[in-house]
Amino acid sequence: MFQYYLKLSWLSIKRTPMLSALMVIAIGLGISVSITVLTVDYLMSKDPLPGKSHKLFHVQLDTYNKGNTDSAPGGLPYQLTYQDLMNLSRSEIPSKQSRSLRSGFSVIPEKVGLTPFSRSARVIDNDFFEMFKVPFLFGSPWEDEVNNKAKKVVVIAKRLNDKLFDGENSVGKTINLDKQLFTIVGVIDTWEPTPRFYDVNNGAFSDTEQLFIPFSLIPVLELPSWGSNNAWKSEVFESYEDKLRSETMWLQYWVQLDTKAKQEEYREFLAGYVEQQRPLGRFEKEDAKTDIKDVVQWMENNRVVSDDNSVLVGLSFMFLAVCMLNTIALLLAKYLKRAPEVGVRRALGASKLEIFTQHIVDVGLIGLAGGALGLLLGQLGLLGVKSLYANYERLVNMDLTLIATAIGLAIGASIIAGLYPAWLICRTNPSIYLKTQ
Amino acid sequence: MLKMNNIKKVFRTDLVETHALRDFSLQVEEKEFVAVTGPSGSGKTTFLNITGMLETFDGGVYELDNEDVSKLNDKQRSRLRNEKIGFIFQSFNLIPDLNLFDNVDVPLRYRGFNAKERKQRIENALERVGLSARLKHLPSQLSGGQQQRVAIARALAGDPRFLLADEPTGNLDSLMARQVMQLLEEINQQGTTIIMVTHDSELARRAHRNIHIVDGQVSDYQDLQPVLDVAEA
Repeated sequence: MFQYYLKLSWLSIKRTPMLSALMVIAIGLGISVSITVLTVDYLMSKDPLPGKSHKLFHVQLDTYNKGNTDSAPGGLPYQLTYQDLMNLSRSEIPSKQSRSLRSGFSVIPEKVGLTPFSRSARVIDNDFFEMFKVPFLFGSPWEDEVNNKAKKVVVIAKRLNDKLFDGENSVGKTINLDKQLFTIVGVIDTWEPTPRFYDVNNGAFSDTEQLFIPFSLIPVLELPSWGSNNAWKSEVFESYEDKLRSETMWLQYWVQLDTKAKQEEYREFLAGYVEQQRPLGRFEKEDAKTDIKDVVQWMENNRVVSDDNSVLVGLSFMFLAVCMLNTIALLLAKYLKRAPEVGVRRALGASKLEIFTQHIVDVGLIGLAGGALGLLLGQLGLLGVKSLYANYERLVNMDLTLIATAIGLAIGASIIAGLYPAWLICRTNPSIYLKTQ
Repeated sequence: MLKMNNIKKVFRTDLVETHALRDFSLQVEEKEFVAVTGPSGSGKTTFLNITGMLETFDGGVYELDNEDVSKLNDKQRSRLRNEKIGFIFQSFNLIPDLNLFDNVDVPLRYRGFNAKERKQRIENALERVGLSARLKHLPSQLSGGQQQRVAIARALAGDPRFLLADEPTGNLDSLMARQVMQLLEEINQQGTTIIMVTHDSELARRAHRNIHIVDGQVSDYQDLQPVLDVAEA
């Protein structure tokens, strides 16, 4: 019967093209607005590392003195001091770990015709690549020993490799960064996690860095931070060493803890670390907190999806509801016009349920058309978002899940809108129309 | 086979109660051709709608093939209507955007026949009314008489035991009316019970039995078969 109902729906659409078109437009508009906002919201908040994100933890310590509290949610600072980072990284509890800093260099190309340009760099340990599933095109991360013994090696991004080496395998070649030659050990494939979950506090929707260099180079090259620096203590730095010894928080730290037991052990380790540091005059607060947050918790903590966005999602669904209310009115008009035919069908043996189902299939088909139109209009909406907000560029691509959501939402909303008209029409007394047709 | 005892039907509005049928009793036997006459508003169509289970009733007992209709739910009533009753209306009530084939197909779809059986039944039914060459025509491309023949084909396609006709010739000229009446008589002779509401006394006289309804009650009951037998002789 489903095919028969589809055929009847198609005939019904052909019979009432204007009404049907108005309904498709109403649904399409509602869906397009909803799906545009939903796309941005979904891509902002989705788990960037499904299956692994719950094992990766960002480490936080409350190093503030008494009377001072960080303004970040929960009062815990986003970043760590260099001295804490170095101390914590000696722990063998994490199966993998990566210290992290956002810095940058002037790239001085050898290629004729290219002028120097600056690029941000991610300063990390080699575990970073495996922890965050960074795909390699050529080569591999640097050796473990480089994490402790500084060496001028670099992993570059495909985009940079294309620019400097025309996409060829550049492993073993050198690249001039701030007038120092770095040996390329790897080229990563396109990797644009959105949001950039490993450093959301330095721009969750910024571009991924194109240079990755060992963390051990920080003291050697006295690398500057291209990200945020936070401090509660007034300190004067006469040398880079002073900064490394300071209470300035400018570095991030990720650890991989594979089991609940390991996570618990690490929490105890952090609490113990705070107690160990107290005799040195640090961690003045009696209740100095420590915490580890997995990737999703970290994104939530940093409000990657802002409250404004949630409000927008709500508003877009209200707009969809208004569109569906209009659709209900149009459906009522269409179905009441069709009541005589329903009377005939009832006389010929259709039950109320069959009439109801026929009309639900009808609204489902209209919803499908509305969903398709909504997807097209939604793409335009996303292009609008892209043109307005450069940082959202990677958020404006619908994946299959979102396309299915749009279609499902359109059909679902249409069916809900169609329930009352379909119920009304199937309850109509057929005998009224059989005499008057 | 069709038995009504003391059927009551009241139409109510906030201000008025209209008794469409009062203690209406009737029995129709298999293969009968019954004509129902009466003035406008007497309850003829209400009777026909209740017979076809398109209307509920407020009191009494209605049995169709020994099934108490009042005890059936909508699905069972629809099933019974689909299997045992065919309808013919004054205004034909063909679905305008379906061609003849698809119009006749409607009751068969609800019966659940497979495509092959439906096709066979549709072709047979349209052939029976002389329209097998116009399967793909739309109702609007036919004359009134032809449309009514399609409606008859639609009513017959499912082999119903009863044919309920509400003023089947009311919208036709006299020539077409005679053709349609002749067709109904043939159908009746082949074993289908027919109950026909009509204003036309000439047509009514051609039925086996004439029931006259006034104010929702059977006022006169006349077995016309002997008269017709004499006329034919």
